[in-house]
Amino acid sequence: MSKENVKVQVRHLTKKFGDLLVLNDVSFEVKKGQFLCVVGPTGCGKTTFLNCITKLYEPTSGEILLDGEPVDLRKHNVSYIFQEYSAMSWLTVEQNIAFGLNIKHFPKEEVKARVDEVIAMVGLEKFRNYYPNQLSASMLQRVVIARAFATKPDLLLMDEPYGQLDIELRFKLEDELIGLWEQLGTTIIFITHNIEEAVYISEDILVLTNKPTTIKTMINNSLPRPRNVTSRSFIDLREQVTELIKWW
Amino acid sequence: MKNKAKQKQIAIKILATIFSFLIFGLLWEMLVRFSDVGRVMPGPLETLQSFFEHFTEKYSAYTLPEHVWRSLRRVLTGYFFAAIAAIALGILMASYKTIDAIVSPLFNMVRPIPPVAWIPLAILWFGINDGSKYFLIFWASFLSMVQNVYAGTKSADPKLIGAAKMLGANDGHIFLTIVLPSAVPYIFSGLQLGINSAWAMAIGSEMIRSTDGVGWLIIRGMDNNNLLQELVGILAVGIVGFALASVLRGVEAKLCRWNKRGT
Amino acid sequence: MSMEQERDLTKRQMIVCDHVSKTFYTKNTETKVIADLNITANENEFLVLFGPGQCGKTTALNVMAGLETATSGTVTVGNEIVTKPGPERGFVYQTTALFPWYTVMKNVEYGPRARGMSKKERRKKAQYYIDLVGLGGFENSFPNQLSGGMQQRVGIARAYCNEPAVLFMDEPFGHLDAQTRYLMQEEIIRIWEKERRTVVFVTNNIEEAVYLADRVIVLTNCPTRVKKEFIIDLPRPRNYTDDKFLNLRAEIQDVVDKTL
Repeated sequence: MSKENVKVQVRHLTKKFGDLLVLNDVSFEVKKGQFLCVVGPTGCGKTTFLNCITKLYEPTSGEILLDGEPVDLRKHNVSYIFQEYSAMSWLTVEQNIAFGLNIKHFPKEEVKARVDEVIAMVGLEKFRNYYPNQLSASMLQRVVIARAFATKPDLLLMDEPYGQLDIELRFKLEDELIGLWEQLGTTIIFITHNIEEAVYISEDILVLTNKPTTIKTMINNSLPRPRNVTSRSFIDLREQVTELIKWW
Repeated sequence: MKNKAKQKQIAIKILATIFSFLIFGLLWEMLVRFSDVGRVMPGPLETLQSFFEHFTEKYSAYTLPEHVWRSLRRVLTGYFFAAIAAIALGILMASYKTIDAIVSPLFNMVRPIPPVAWIPLAILWFGINDGSKYFLIFWASFLSMVQNVYAGTKSADPKLIGAAKMLGANDGHIFLTIVLPSAVPYIFSGLQLGINSAWAMAIGSEMIRSTDGVGWLIIRGMDNNNLLQELVGILAVGIVGFALASVLRGVEAKLCRWNKRGT
Repeated sequence: MSMEQERDLTKRQMIVCDHVSKTFYTKNTETKVIADLNITANENEFLVLFGPGQCGKTTALNVMAGLETATSGTVTVGNEIVTKPGPERGFVYQTTALFPWYTVMKNVEYGPRARGMSKKERRKKAQYYIDLVGLGGFENSFPNQLSGGMQQRVGIARAYCNEPAVLFMDEPFGHLDAQTRYLMQEEIIRIWEKERRTVVFVTNNIEEAVYLADRVIVLTNCPTRVKKEFIIDLPRPRNYTDDKFLNLRAEIQDVVDKTL
């Protein structure tokens, strides 16, 4: 992996809460434009891991580098998408998507151009003047995703964004996400419980152990797209990952 | 380990409380010492001293605790009956559409009228002594409680009512086991509002005409240009109000354990 | 399941939906949610209703349970026509519908208590079902102290504790994380094999349907009717990665895709 190709470097990341060791010496790298899924058993330190990247927690030791520098949220453009639809209820779809761009003081024309671009990509043109309470759950999640992509983030962190969605919608939105990623080349770290989802969307799968969390293995997922969830090769990979983390 | 962290948090809280009182006292002291106000207004230490002295010394016929008790007795009596009436009416209105339809228009019209506006009429109806005070305290706290009880009774989740029906519960059982528990947190915030209104009305009505109570203490202090007496009265009002609210919060925490997250 | 039991299943019909339809009326609109539903469930059968997103499967379940009334047609459970909710039918909800002010024990014994069973008797019964769902030791916990999976276990124990003839389950695992969901699927089968009841289970997850069901009924989009029926004759415990399993899953997926 050549130096300029590395987007994120996690080096010996360790996090303790008092005597409780949650993350134990986690190290890995993410390439520019890579789509990485992180899976692990329920209750492993996935969320703590995420909170370390977003600086909600200070790591006990180790570091996280973005483009070779320690993560600084004022300098680096990191976007997050969580399970809860965090659309602002007092803003329209359009204003919601423009929100992040306005905060970063983009020029007016640029904001408009980018909003138009992503709004079209997620198919919400007709709803640009709607308020969140007039939208369905899937449309809301699209708004949130569009808002995240609009800022063209250096790194997009997704924490189980489709966990509460209906399974059909989930597949649909996953397809959309893959489309957006292919077009925009964003670097994505996607955290999920759902192994089927991980195998469906990822380029690489980082498998974590139970607490204290370390890296079990990194699996390259080279299944051709579009992927078929009932094909043998898909099921075999899914089974392989499941065996690595099965606790139930 | 967790206990230690918790102890530390409690210690910080206590220190912060002491600190904020010290700062307040210091500002007060400075105001008295370095401005013209000091010529008429006593400082914090003088006030505290007088406060404790009057645990045994009398203002007119009673000591300070006796005055407080007299106010408190009025509050608790009026408030007690108001709480019963408000809970009963709130539940009835929320449960029966007919009662709601009859009572609501009248209630909604009376509610915005500040309770103090009824003072002259209350005196006419119940006499200038304790009768009118009991009524005014009752009325003020009643008005601020009914709405919450009503909203609480209406707040029961239809899904839970459905679940209870599926398990074979009849209407009476559903009321006792689903509707009432759902209403409890609302009722408590109503009770909290009510006790504040009751206490405020007690002080207010004692200022109009009485021979005892904390309200009387304050107004008499003003009449006699005795600022020290006024300040002692105000301090007593603050302490008792705080204590009443804390007692209610404690009872609520005990009764609504289920409403808190985890333990 | 032995051949004998299997023949038994066809013998007694526990639930019969006979030309059920349901229309919701509001001021200016009417929405037909169920077109014409004919479903039977046999005694002790695990029947899964599968349907796309908002297809009206939850409404269908509510009508069968008596939580909603049919616009036309009848539902018979046992020998009685369903008109209102009742304790001979148990219901497990999508998101937990536990009573938050009651402990696990009080939630589970709610039904027997409402029907006036003595304290000693109902405690014993509730304890049995609490143990059955694997929550022994949590009797005095409040729902908000439990994880999502544990809350659904309480919901299942509560429904069972009334000893209903039939159990309706409305996507009970829909809000759990994917891994806990697999665990709960294994658990519900274990519980059901121990305490056989007629179960009608609604889901929008094909894999879950094939894993659980004796029979899967695929519903059409709104207004819903029966699209197709699949007998799942795989032995239990089932394996998601088994070829037969995958074939059945693909077969159902195929029908569903054409439904949309």
